Amino acid sequence: MQFSLNGRNIAAEPGETVLSVARKNGVFIPTLCHHDAVSPSGACRLCVVQVSSGERSRIVSSCLYAPSENDRVETDTERVRKVRRMVLELLLARCPTVELIRDLARAYGIQRSRFTDGAGPSEERCVLCGLCVRVCDEVVGRHAISHAKRGIQRKITTAFDTQADECIGCGACVRICPTGALHYEDLPEQKQPERVMVELHTRVPLVRCSDCGRAFASPALFEHVSKSVNVPPTTLAACPACRSKSFAATAAQNPPSAPAFARAHARTYQSQLLASINEESS
Amino acid sequence: MIKTPQELIAARDSVREHFFNGWTRIRVGMATCGLAGGAGKLFEAIREQNEKNNYGFFVAETGCNGACFLEPLVDVVLPGQGRITYANMKPSDIENLLLLTFGGRVYTKKAVARATSEHLLSDDTEIPYLQGVIQPDVQKVPPYSEAPFFKNQVRIALRNCGIIDPTSLDEYIAFGGYAGAAKALTQLQPEDVIDEIKRSGLRGRGGGGFPTGRKWEACRKANGAARFVICNADEGDPGAYMDRSIIEGDPHSIIEGMIIGAYAIGARIGYVYVREEYPLAVKRMRLAVQQAEAAGLLGENIFGSGFDFRIRISRGAGAFVCGEETGLIASIEGNAGTPRQRPPYPAQSGLWGMPTNINNVETWNNVPVIITRGAGWFSSIGTPSSKGTKVFSLVGKAKRVGLVEVPMGTSLREVVEQIGGGIQDGGEFKALQTGGPSGGCIPAAHLDCPVDYETLTSLGSMMGSGGMIVMDSRTCMVEMARYFLAFLKEESCGKCVPCREGTLRMLETLSAICEGRGRPEHLDLLKELSEAMADGSLCALGGSAPNPVRSTLHFFEEEYRAHIEERRCPARVCKALIEYQVVRESCTGCGACARVCPVKAAFGKKKAPHEINNGLCTRCGLCADACKFKAIKVA
Ligand SMILES: Cc1cc2nc3c(=O)[nH]c(=O)nc-3n(C[C@H](O)[C@H](O)[C@H](O)COP(=O)(O)O)c2cc1C
Ligand code: SF4
Ligand code: SF4
Ligand code: FES
Repeated sequence: MQFSLNGRNIAAEPGETVLSVARKNGVFIPTLCHHDAVSPSGACRLCVVQVSSGERSRIVSSCLYAPSENDRVETDTERVRKVRRMVLELLLARCPTVELIRDLARAYGIQRSRFTDGAGPSEERCVLCGLCVRVCDEVVGRHAISHAKRGIQRKITTAFDTQADECIGCGACVRICPTGALHYEDLPEQKQPERVMVELHTRVPLVRCSDCGRAFASPALFEHVSKSVNVPPTTLAACPACRSKSFAATAAQNPPSAPAFARAHARTYQSQLLASINEESS
Repeated sequence: MIKTPQELIAARDSVREHFFNGWTRIRVGMATCGLAGGAGKLFEAIREQNEKNNYGFFVAETGCNGACFLEPLVDVVLPGQGRITYANMKPSDIENLLLLTFGGRVYTKKAVARATSEHLLSDDTEIPYLQGVIQPDVQKVPPYSEAPFFKNQVRIALRNCGIIDPTSLDEYIAFGGYAGAAKALTQLQPEDVIDEIKRSGLRGRGGGGFPTGRKWEACRKANGAARFVICNADEGDPGAYMDRSIIEGDPHSIIEGMIIGAYAIGARIGYVYVREEYPLAVKRMRLAVQQAEAAGLLGENIFGSGFDFRIRISRGAGAFVCGEETGLIASIEGNAGTPRQRPPYPAQSGLWGMPTNINNVETWNNVPVIITRGAGWFSSIGTPSSKGTKVFSLVGKAKRVGLVEVPMGTSLREVVEQIGGGIQDGGEFKALQTGGPSGGCIPAAHLDCPVDYETLTSLGSMMGSGGMIVMDSRTCMVEMARYFLAFLKEESCGKCVPCREGTLRMLETLSAICEGRGRPEHLDLLKELSEAMADGSLCALGGSAPNPVRSTLHFFEEEYRAHIEERRCPARVCKALIEYQVVRESCTGCGACARVCPVKAAFGKKKAPHEINNGLCTRCGLCADACKFKAIKVA
């Protein structure tokens, strides 16, 4: 499959998106609602590109669009920049305090939004990219959070805005959030230590590390991880720091077989995610 | 049970004989519009008196014939005289109507049109009602071919609406129904059906105007373990009700269209997605599906062809965006009705990831007659690019409002002036808004343009699903754009940034202009925002949401400027920019204004000219309505 990307002829796998091909070929396209760990959604429209086939040319989101044979794709035309600039100006009006949005806007020459005159400062941080919902659904598999309401009232929340029993307090949503709209707070000193998912109306009990005694994860998370990577919950009773210490000690004495080692070291979803997020941003 | 085309013809002929055999039949228009006008009470009154007086009339309900300004409507088939349509009927008219009908006479006071025969479109036959000597009072009633409102119309989609009883499968069959399905399933190969639809030039009536035959072909050719067809009866445009009327008045026409389409495409299951707010349409559709199943017209081995097809009814969640095809599919699947980016189009990957063909109610309803009458007949109507007819809901300031069906290519002027009868109360025409909330406005200078997909688009408006709002000089174009943006902002699903945030900011900007806070730079901002929303939105809701602004800015920019630069609303609509003033010479000091003013802004001494305190005035306009001497004017 051949198409042209900014005038260069490029081969792509059928079904591969413009964004993915562009990244492989060192062409930068800004994104906000895209993350390799989850399926694309097309919500932010920052990644738009211009596609021409024959006489017609149109704007599509590159995170979703798989080019057809002989498409001419351009990633930085004036028409494309106009859409991106407006998207950023609109987001800046919504989330004026979010550093990421301010940086992106500045990169497109926008210092302030023309839409906010007279309005009080907005503390809104969520851009509704939906990454948190998708990571909880697709990666963690818990469906603890979702979009509620329509239009400008759309928001991220739990069912009926109350305690989500599906939530295991893994924090994947907090980590994937590009704007710092979600937080959790641990209360390790309580008699029953808890993790509070601040914006999500949810509290999850924490257990203490079997070695150092630090409250570090929920029983539900243990169960979830132990089931999905098939290791006994007891292996997980120690916090990651203590666990790697003890693994190192055991391994030094008695090197385990490769598969057993891999299984024992099976990364939690959190660390998988963290790794992928770090790769992205570096 | 109807298992063969021969049985269908036998059924048709026997009901036909019964239908035209000289019984006195009374039909009340009982679609939602008729019911809102009080048809339910009329129907009861007619039934009661019919029984009480032993008249022996055959009383039934029918759908809407489109003339909503004449509701409630009663049709009487008078033996020997034809079918007579009575308009604006009240319960107090019933006694006289029935008495005169019993004597074979006409209730002249309310008779508006008559038919001496019915043209059965499906098999192009003209069947006369029993003929006798036409009574002089009948002769005075104009025939349908001369009656204003009706005479300029050509009815294909509305062929049966307001004539047959929508709860009767027999009557649909008597009027040629299911002959198209019989022909397609027993005489044509699926490819032939697709070919016929392609050659007919039929294009989607749901908004996009995509060629129907090509869409069917793409779906048929797509790979998939199963295929589906869907009828889109979401109809979320405020003020538009052509789809509702077709379902309520002629539900079997949709089922028949879907049978033909499913056969052509290779689908065995179809869905009708009807909005929750249409309870009567849901009921009629449900009954029609049951009747078709009981008659063997749905189910296994239809017409002995070996083809199986079933229809399920799915109720919409009542959101405008659920009418968008990918949102609609998500909604049938039980998910939130949020659109997704196309491609892939539903024809490749639709319901449950399978190839799916989705068409509008009116599109499906056109299919059976194209099959019976042929592509050549259909394509002889209309313009080179737009074939057949289109139903519009004509509303607003026209004298005659309702559903009108005209051939493509009819001029807008003919629709507004001939059918609509021009502007109410001697007002002056200003613009025609077409295409629903995300359509555009067409000013008087372009009224001679023909209605077809391309022309409307080139004028910055669109065909949409067929909304048409007539506006007169008392309409403020900025306020009108604001009104539609307010609707679209509420209906945006909120998934993508340009639409969710853009409709909000566009509305805020328009409100600022209407409220006298407009600034010159707002015009460029609106233009820039329009462009980015049109280009950048994920689905066509956001993509077309700027249309009301773009088209009014294009044709009526001076009106925006008057609001911004002179703080003046030329149509005198925007409350912040108008003042109520007393014309001292005309004021008699009667005090009517002071009595009605809810905020005590109108005041004065008895018999002396009154005044209005504009600081207190809320611009409700009650004083101007109350003044008998026209002494209060808007400035
Ligand atoms: C916001 C939005 C609302 C829509 N609403 C409807 C509707 O109510 N009914 C309809 O038939 N099509 C509606 N459409 C168009 C559908 O997406 C689709 O194009 C149509 O059902 C296809 O049928 P057709 O080819 O017969 O026109 C809507 C589109 C958009 C973007
Ligand atoms: S909370 Fe964060 S991740 Fe979730 S939608 Fe909002 S911005 Fe995106
Ligand atoms: S354009 Fe509007 S309705 Fe369509 S996906 Fe975007 S937010 Fe939703
Ligand atoms: S990254 Fe493609 S739309 Fe957000």
